[in-house]
Amino acid sequence: MSDLNRFRYTMESCNHCGQCKWILPHRMSGWDFAEVCPVHHHFGFDAYSGQGLVNIVREVMEGKLERTDELADMVHTCAACGACDVNCKSVRDMEVLETIYELRHDLAQAGHLPDSCRRMAENVSAGCDPFGVPLAERFSWLPGDFRDDPDSDTVLFAGCSASRDPGPVLAAIRILQAGGVPFRLLREEERCCGGALWRSGQQETAGDLIRGNAEAFRKAGIRTVITVCGECFGAFRSIYPRFVKPGFRTVHISQVAAGLIREGKLAFRQDARPLTVTYHDPCMLGRLSEEYVPWEGEIRSYGLHVPEKHWNRGEFGVYQEPRDVLSALPGITVREMTRRVEESWCCGYWTGQADPECAAATADERMREARSTDAEAIVSCCPFCRTALSGAGDPLPVVDLAELVAGRLA
Amino acid sequence: MSLPRAVYAELESVVGSRNISEKEYILAGNRAQTPEIPFPHRSADAIVLPGSTEQVAEIVRICNRHGVRYVGTVSGGIPTAYATEENTILIHFKRMNRILEINEKDRYAVVEPGVRHVQLYPEVRKRGLSYTAAAVGPGGSVLVNIACTGGDHHNQYGSSRPTRYLLGVEMVTPEGEILRTGSLEAGAGWFCPESAGPSLRGVVKGYSGNAGHIGIVTKCAIALDRCKGPAETRSEGVSPHSRIYMDGGCSRVYVFNYSSIQDVGRAMLALGESEVGATVQKYFYLPLSLMMTASANEFWEKWGRFREAFPMPLVVHLAPHSVRELEYEEKILFDVIRETGGVRLPRDLEKWWEEHMDYFMIVSRLQSVLRLGGSWLPIKTGGESVRHLCDIGDSISGFIHDFTDTGKIFDAPQNYQIIPMEYGHFASFELLFMWDRLDPNSFRYMQEFCTVSRETDLKNHAHSMTAGGYGKAGEALGRLYCNCHLWAGRIREAFDPSFTMDA
Ligand SMILES: Cc1cc2nc3c(=O)[nH]c(=O)nc-3n(C[C@H](O)[C@H](O)[C@H](O)COP(=O)(O)OP(=O)(O)OC[C@H]3O[C@@H](n4cnc5c(N)ncnc54)[C@H](O)[C@@H]3O)c2cc1C
Ligand code: SF4
Ligand code: SF4
Repeated sequence: MSDLNRFRYTMESCNHCGQCKWILPHRMSGWDFAEVCPVHHHFGFDAYSGQGLVNIVREVMEGKLERTDELADMVHTCAACGACDVNCKSVRDMEVLETIYELRHDLAQAGHLPDSCRRMAENVSAGCDPFGVPLAERFSWLPGDFRDDPDSDTVLFAGCSASRDPGPVLAAIRILQAGGVPFRLLREEERCCGGALWRSGQQETAGDLIRGNAEAFRKAGIRTVITVCGECFGAFRSIYPRFVKPGFRTVHISQVAAGLIREGKLAFRQDARPLTVTYHDPCMLGRLSEEYVPWEGEIRSYGLHVPEKHWNRGEFGVYQEPRDVLSALPGITVREMTRRVEESWCCGYWTGQADPECAAATADERMREARSTDAEAIVSCCPFCRTALSGAGDPLPVVDLAELVAGRLA
Repeated sequence: MSLPRAVYAELESVVGSRNISEKEYILAGNRAQTPEIPFPHRSADAIVLPGSTEQVAEIVRICNRHGVRYVGTVSGGIPTAYATEENTILIHFKRMNRILEINEKDRYAVVEPGVRHVQLYPEVRKRGLSYTAAAVGPGGSVLVNIACTGGDHHNQYGSSRPTRYLLGVEMVTPEGEILRTGSLEAGAGWFCPESAGPSLRGVVKGYSGNAGHIGIVTKCAIALDRCKGPAETRSEGVSPHSRIYMDGGCSRVYVFNYSSIQDVGRAMLALGESEVGATVQKYFYLPLSLMMTASANEFWEKWGRFREAFPMPLVVHLAPHSVRELEYEEKILFDVIRETGGVRLPRDLEKWWEEHMDYFMIVSRLQSVLRLGGSWLPIKTGGESVRHLCDIGDSISGFIHDFTDTGKIFDAPQNYQIIPMEYGHFASFELLFMWDRLDPNSFRYMQEFCTVSRETDLKNHAHSMTAGGYGKAGEALGRLYCNCHLWAGRIREAFDPSFTMDA
């Protein structure tokens, strides 16, 4: 059951300082690219921001604001990117994003959520992935002669987006094979990770998937899950521990590649075309990927949390390994954007569930920033980012890191 | 309450349908109760996002015609940025966000209200210039901070009060006229705050936010200083453990401990006589302890030790333009410290300051003072001579224990700051304390503490200002204490007799 009251302390602590909308000073670079919240940037009203949403939750909790479909649509324009959360937590002990998630949960339970989100759950119940691809067809892109290691305790988790865009997973397979990493695929046994459903507020449906997946991994003896998708990575790390004690560790293909490069197990062509790129940190691989540690307790006077609470502040996301990989690739030059690492600007994918115009504006803004670095391409590690950013007007090529690496293997 | 349809339609025709809303969930984003007050802010009836001065003027005229009140707002960081009565709209400056000019030669910048410190500061710094930004954080409005509200900033020792940095101003008067002041009035540019006739600068600034001043400021120029310290900064790490460094041989921070505030004052004055230092301040150690820790729990674990380590810290930032100058300033500094009995703190504690040069530029970390729940108040703010403020500091231990020892408020006797300005010509004071918002009586205790603080000041013939002092409690103490708010009110009444500008 949803319980907005759990986040009362957060709601009552907000003093409208606005730190959730503006870049933190250690990354500031000037007038441009100073905003961090895509929806505040697009709509302009404070309601569309961490501050505004926290205030809205409070009024819903106190019965001052009605739960409606229109409110749910508004709440789902938020990309759930977590920039507000990181910024607020740089100076406060508040759970801004968790509060927004709980509002979605609350609204979903009251029957209010955008149709696109509702369809995701319906698709899953109908034996498909959230985008409607039947489980049996999820791996139709796999080459007929592909052989994995059925005894391996490492699984390469393809993720739902592979059926739309198998390139990154095929590239990951090449990297693992080149590096001599034994692994297996789950094929039609693989189900949606549940992350998107959970983040859309459909936490009970997501919970069923999560428990099912964890059990399937346990039965199959899986100890390591390698993801290609930033969303799946973030889900396994930051959502699964809410339902199960995961008996496996999760690594992203960029981390595996960085490790293989460090160990000298990947060799690259030296004659590859020189390319200047900029790196886009996906939210669920970066600031939202810290392992969730449950906390229950009492918040006493002056903010004392008893027992002590573990805070996820986006400090320990996967930021360095993708950059290490890029700098190891011959011919690749990296130019950083202003909004990077924990202050990264979201691609806007999930905004599109409720407001495609806002999603397009968010992607356009990122593309504008990428262009300002004089990069020829934008590299990311998440298929959802690739989809969203490719939809920007006049986009730079959006390259998946795994594909870039695989394409340059000797 | 919602606005009459005709009024809404008129406003909508000015800003366009995308930039006005009266939806409850949009209004909710700007009306929730903030932790320092025990009641919710009153809801506005609509929020408009104008895009230009002309649109603001149109909005104000519409409000006048229909008797609708209006309040300007940017980040809404302080309680005067909210509606206080029914039939009020919020004019939010998100879209008026341009830096119109940075004039490197004449050293000024022209900004609209929506420009935030985190946008202007790096732009001017790149050009070898700077200004003193308030501790309000990266999202605070530069224009509001300098032209409308805000008091003193943390690093103005070698410079002056923000008010003195206000140059040409463009504003919309309560009649909806567009008024230009200073050199702008003569069409001569933005560089000067005064022109023929009486100075309008004080009238524009008023007392605090809309409590006193008489219009919506739509553009203003602020004066810029030469950079104190290297123009290039470097940052490392990931939030919340990120760091900003000012590299280069001639930027250095020193922290000294004293056993008496009078000696601190003597050091401030002696340094001022030699015009040495970019920042010199007696810092409050409660905020410092919050800035040095990453959570409330960590703060509570370390607070006792911090209290012991910083009983009376004098922080000095030297940032001259050459290494030779630094050697010279350092020599004077050490002479002064020796003569006044200061003791240098261990290097690791000084280093902490050096690793947080954010503090000397944009002061975003000071928002951590809100980490303990957010119920806080800075009191006794205002300008006086350094000596007089040291006396005020001394007087605090005479009344604070009744409140701290009984748990009515959270503070410590020496937890106040004194910031000398203009090389010690005068200084500002701030006593920052907190209260427990989980305690239903805490707001009352807070008010009692303010009253006692004010009475003590009155006895000591001090003029520092305690929040709320211009309200009932101030009046109870008698007009002799301060009558400037009454004058500010009269000026406002003369210009805005129907009080359409909310106050
Ligand atoms: C933690 C914290 C620390 C602070 N430290 C300092 C400090 O060290 N020094 C200091 O000087 N201040 C300090 N302040 C106060 C700060 O100066 C103000 O909160 C801030 O400058 C206001 O900017 P804002 O964007 O929040 O404006 P808002 O809060 O949105 O507005 C402030 C006031 O100005 C009015 N206003 C807004 N726009 C206009 C306009 N265009 N024309 C006319 N009136 C307008 C509003 O109605 C309101 O009354 C601090 C505040 C906080 C929360
Ligand atoms: S959510 Fe946090 S950062 Fe945003 S306004 Fe509230 S306190 Fe400030
Ligand atoms: S999660 Fe992202 S889009 Fe949503 S309010 Fe926070 S910063 Fe804005």
